[in-house]
Amino acid sequence: MAYSQTMLVFVVLAPGVVFSVLALLWLVGWTPRERVVSRITGAVFSASILALAVIIWRLAATGAPAVTVTFGNWFTVHDYHFPLVLMADHLSLPFLGMTLVLSGLIGQFSATYLHREPGFLRFFLLLHLFAFGSLLAFAAGSFDLLVGGWEMVGITSVLLIAFFQQRTAPVENGLRVFAVYRACDIGLLVGVFAMHDWAGTASFAGGLPSLTGNRASIVCLLLLLAAAGKAAQVPFSGWLPRAMEGPTPSSAIFYGAISIHAGAYLLLRVQPMLVQSGLASAMVIAIGVATAIHGTMSGRASADAKTSLAYASLTQVGVVFVEIGIGWKAIALVHILGHAMVRTLQFLRAPSMLHDYHKMHSAIGGELSPTGKHLEELLSERVQLWLYRWSLDHGHLDTILDRFVIYPLMRLSRLFAKLDSMGLSLSGREAPVPRHSAAGQGNM
Amino acid sequence: MSQDDHPEQSRGDKLRLAVEHAGHLLPMQGPIGVFVHHNTLHAFQDLPFEQAVIEASHRFGAEPYMTEAAYRAALARGRIHLEDIDAVCDSEPDAVVFPRLSRHSLRRAMMTPGVREFDAATILWRTEQGDLARDFRQPALRALFDACFARIIAHEDEPAAPRSVDEIIHPWLIRLCSVFLDQGMAYWPMLHREKGFYESVRTLLAPRGGIFPRYLTGLDEELERQEYFSFSATDAVLDYLDTQRFCEADWEGVLQTELLALPGWAGLMRRLEEDPSLAPHETVPCSLMDFLAVRLTMARVASREGAAETVPQESPLKNQEKRRLSRAARVYDAARVVSLSADEVTRLSDAEWTAFVSEVKACNGLERRRILHLAYERWHEREILRGLASHRQYRGLCELEARPTAQVFFCIDEREESMRRALEEADAAVETFSSAGYFGVAVDYKGIDDPNSAAFCPVVVKPRHSVFEQPKAEDRELLESRRWRRRLLGLLTRNSFVSSRTLMRGWLSTTVLGLLSAVPLIGHLLAPRRYAKLRDWMNKAFLPEPRTELTLMRNTAQSQGAVTGLLMGFAALEKTERVASVLGPAALTRRFARLVVILGHGSSSLNNPHESAHDCGACGGRRGGPNARLFAAMANRPEVRAHLRERGIDIPPDTWFIGGYHDTCSDDVELYDLDALPATHQADLSRTVESLEKARAHNARERARRFESCPENASPHATLRHVEERSEHLAEPRPEYGHCTNAVCIVGRRSLTRGLFLDRRVFLASYDAAQDPGDQSLAAVMAAVVPVCTGISLEYYFSFVDNDRYGCGTKLPHNVAGLVGVMDGHASDLRTGLPWQMVEIHEPVRLLFVIETTPERLMKVVNASASLKQVVENRWIRVATIDPDSGRIHVRRNSGFEQFDGPVERLPVAFSSAEWYGGKIEHLPMAWIQAEGGGR
Repeated sequence: MAYSQTMLVFVVLAPGVVFSVLALLWLVGWTPRERVVSRITGAVFSASILALAVIIWRLAATGAPAVTVTFGNWFTVHDYHFPLVLMADHLSLPFLGMTLVLSGLIGQFSATYLHREPGFLRFFLLLHLFAFGSLLAFAAGSFDLLVGGWEMVGITSVLLIAFFQQRTAPVENGLRVFAVYRACDIGLLVGVFAMHDWAGTASFAGGLPSLTGNRASIVCLLLLLAAAGKAAQVPFSGWLPRAMEGPTPSSAIFYGAISIHAGAYLLLRVQPMLVQSGLASAMVIAIGVATAIHGTMSGRASADAKTSLAYASLTQVGVVFVEIGIGWKAIALVHILGHAMVRTLQFLRAPSMLHDYHKMHSAIGGELSPTGKHLEELLSERVQLWLYRWSLDHGHLDTILDRFVIYPLMRLSRLFAKLDSMGLSLSGREAPVPRHSAAGQGNM
Repeated sequence: MSQDDHPEQSRGDKLRLAVEHAGHLLPMQGPIGVFVHHNTLHAFQDLPFEQAVIEASHRFGAEPYMTEAAYRAALARGRIHLEDIDAVCDSEPDAVVFPRLSRHSLRRAMMTPGVREFDAATILWRTEQGDLARDFRQPALRALFDACFARIIAHEDEPAAPRSVDEIIHPWLIRLCSVFLDQGMAYWPMLHREKGFYESVRTLLAPRGGIFPRYLTGLDEELERQEYFSFSATDAVLDYLDTQRFCEADWEGVLQTELLALPGWAGLMRRLEEDPSLAPHETVPCSLMDFLAVRLTMARVASREGAAETVPQESPLKNQEKRRLSRAARVYDAARVVSLSADEVTRLSDAEWTAFVSEVKACNGLERRRILHLAYERWHEREILRGLASHRQYRGLCELEARPTAQVFFCIDEREESMRRALEEADAAVETFSSAGYFGVAVDYKGIDDPNSAAFCPVVVKPRHSVFEQPKAEDRELLESRRWRRRLLGLLTRNSFVSSRTLMRGWLSTTVLGLLSAVPLIGHLLAPRRYAKLRDWMNKAFLPEPRTELTLMRNTAQSQGAVTGLLMGFAALEKTERVASVLGPAALTRRFARLVVILGHGSSSLNNPHESAHDCGACGGRRGGPNARLFAAMANRPEVRAHLRERGIDIPPDTWFIGGYHDTCSDDVELYDLDALPATHQADLSRTVESLEKARAHNARERARRFESCPENASPHATLRHVEERSEHLAEPRPEYGHCTNAVCIVGRRSLTRGLFLDRRVFLASYDAAQDPGDQSLAAVMAAVVPVCTGISLEYYFSFVDNDRYGCGTKLPHNVAGLVGVMDGHASDLRTGLPWQMVEIHEPVRLLFVIETTPERLMKVVNASASLKQVVENRWIRVATIDPDSGRIHVRRNSGFEQFDGPVERLPVAFSSAEWYGGKIEHLPMAWIQAEGGGR
């Protein structure tokens, strides 16, 4: 078994090592040529795919349920310990395979697509870091370790949205996605703490921590918060179209394939605990249904290629959530894999939209059957108008978030700042002047 | 607001006029599916170039020239010589600043060694730790700075603060524009589009029950109020202008600012208002007034909600100090480069000091860039004209003695220059000509696979004739089966396209069939060329191709299309005219070869929203194959030849015309109607096809030298494969470099340029002054060539010098919106102009026209046409002439034509183009390509 354990360690660490080595070299002033970067990328992902194939073959041959590698604990503080456990089981393997194949393909695509782009190396560094993060998240044997991978996926996602740093829109939108991620990641962190507190461990390499009743419900709901944020489920969906500011291939792999399904992976991971809690299952289904409807309606009213693809993705991820809530694990898994493939291809082809549409248009003979007519037939004029406006503003989700969450929060913080400075002036010291930027308040 | 209220009516008219004027500044680009190159600054074309770029840069906040650093770099690598700078300075009036210093010497010193730019933001740092601090270590410089700082330097204007309501209203406005203009991308099209933008938006947003962003709350009430008073768009705009208390004189300025906040979307509205037929699939009633009404209503609500407040960032006092320092630094730097000492500065009289400061100010960054740019162009002009003068000695070698084996017509396009040269190198007995790529056949054409007909001619021409492609009688059934199979395929594609995005069908299709997508995904990315070949092969197997013919005959005098009113086909005389209009100016009136090939061109690439920008400009942004095919078919008609003979164009009976198509991206060449070729000509054909095969490989190789990603020492075969792969690669942002690097247009005989390596940078138009005593042909050629080439050249110029504002930035984040254009990310303005990947290796110079005629004859033609006159007199192009007899060259300068002389050096000689360009990636100078065996 040592054989496939080595392979698993290699698969997870390889992109991480590439990232660190290239980044360090870059830091000391050596910028490798494009061809070197793309060769390394190709070689690493090809080797990893082979290694993964070996793991799968060994598992199938021996009939073992999983490959587990334990490095002991990273650190221990009183009762708390941080176990370093990698595990590849029947749930991890498909996700690992998907990550490797798609990252490799995206690497191949980007070598051509980003040729001569000043941020070429930066893009590939982030791609490797992202691959490392998702492989770590999918191969982690404990939630503690999963958090590490999860955060890496989050930060690379944000940095790639803000890839074109010289314009303001990508940076602003990246920051917004970052804020939503951070807010939702609280769920994951608190969930892990709760598991440690109640079950003494957050490792699932030997089965999920045993929790029942309300405790199970609470942990599931906390993890659901994290999953929903990462998967852009209602009510957090507003960030998804904003994430389309990055280069096309990163939109494809993040929001068509891997990052968007990471939330589903998390839920699949805790599925045995989820089935014990009717409340949590119901919430998962409710969020999934709401997202699917929200996604399909917003997508229908979008007239640009990437937004409409983003919402098409969202719709199917909503359906995946429903499947998980109901307990159809296998269907959810097949759905995720198929969906990732379809969407990656569609995102990569998005710039061809014009070409493809004109071709299709002429093949059909110039008369396309109109779409969306049944909506107009079924609904009354007033409802139609309302629904169309609702869809066009993407369910008003961002507006609601701005007006009823962010704005009051900022007012509150300003109030505290004022109180603070009053207190300071009472005590005879001068308060630092808070600097407000006009742009920060712009969208409320 | 009743319509017959008189004063209101006239205010409405005034407003319409103001909107129309303000709208002129918007980009001319239509829906991107048919890309036509325009002068980006078309609105400023009535001004001289140098003035226009400056005015436009103020208006649009854009750059007029390259950066000073870029010109400095050009100076350093010898792309600009000092003599060019001197010549430019000398051509402008000199003045005495003070006894020791003339304007010219001051300017010369400010250009080279050159002065630095200073601004208030960085000045403190620079005096404390930066380059100025280093200067100050020399006591003389320190003293000089202090001396300058001590004397008063007059004030400058401050830049205006940016507006802030844009960020509030743009998300909604952009979304509304994109769904309103959508050509079929959204599953659910916008409701009530037929009412126009303003009314449909009002109907949509006025009902209660929506949630608006904080600063737009009340938009529904405002729209409801406007609905209640049944405002028209004009009323809404007037209402805004009145409430904001703008007087009529300010209207145009206010509206301009509003329109220029989102020029892409507003510009498209305007284009579609002017010409609704530009919309590729769905006609939508556009109007700029509607756009303004919506925008201003939103702006009004936003500013009422108090969004427009801005917070000052720093104390204004401190800034003033910094500005004073930076002003002093500018004068100091100029004083430094002309070696003034602190003493001299102190001793200058007030008048002298003021004169000095104002001279320094007049030679600010913009002015220096202008001079450097003129020098940059002058260097290029000298190179080209010297090369042409030097080529004259080889002229004798360019004339063919025997009857040519074939004559091939290309488009004037500069991308065909290398193809022509390659063809002549492949077979020295081939003659090549060029003519604007629609080959005189302005036609409304519909191929068997096209759903609608389209105009195949320059955009300024309206076709009067229509031609269809139809299957030959025996292949009718084949076409039927092709039609329904294509339809089936199309429906299948559409269904999978739509269903993968919907809820329930998407569920089924992604779960059940999703994994199958891995096949195209992997195919496209790992083996793009082979995968494309496989698809082609499957297409061929599934879709039979009928042999076709064109409906070019019209026997009855007046048979018109019932709906279009277009004449069906061409009558014999009309055909004759078309053929003569190409052969005449090209001076191909005798000595015809047995085979004459006419090659149209276009470009096909994958994953490229700007695909059409690479197509033929003379065909209105379409692919010129049908025009070439039609021309050949006409020229083969016996009755046409009979008429031509009467006009002195004697085509012998053994000459046969073949139409064809050259794909400038994959370098494919396809010839049409070969089954009609007489058996006697088969040998000629195979010889020509062989030469064309060689030529396309050579051409691919020459193009590939510019691509960094093409291996340097690849074999010709591998290079051809590389080029073919580019056109099929899903990830390729630069399938070809298009018109990039274009710089010159030569109108004259091929003997002027044959064997001359022109680096694919020169438009070539065939013209022979000897056969054109009345200058009619010259007028015809100029009318066809100048607008097309000028549009291309200036669009590349502006998209290069300011790719962010005049161009559309990098392609990588582009997002196709509504099938009409591209946005950056999910909600930006519609980006117009060319992307960086298309222009990155361009050299921004105005197109240099070199015309083989005399200055007098040229100016006669130019002065007869208002549009030519404007372009020439305002110097949007550079003009030179070559005397057809003496070869003397004249260049047009501000004051008229000047003879160009100077030493004529011998051209470098190479034995083939490949030898000259091999292993080089940069722009190359001219060279004489001495063909092997001395065939010429």
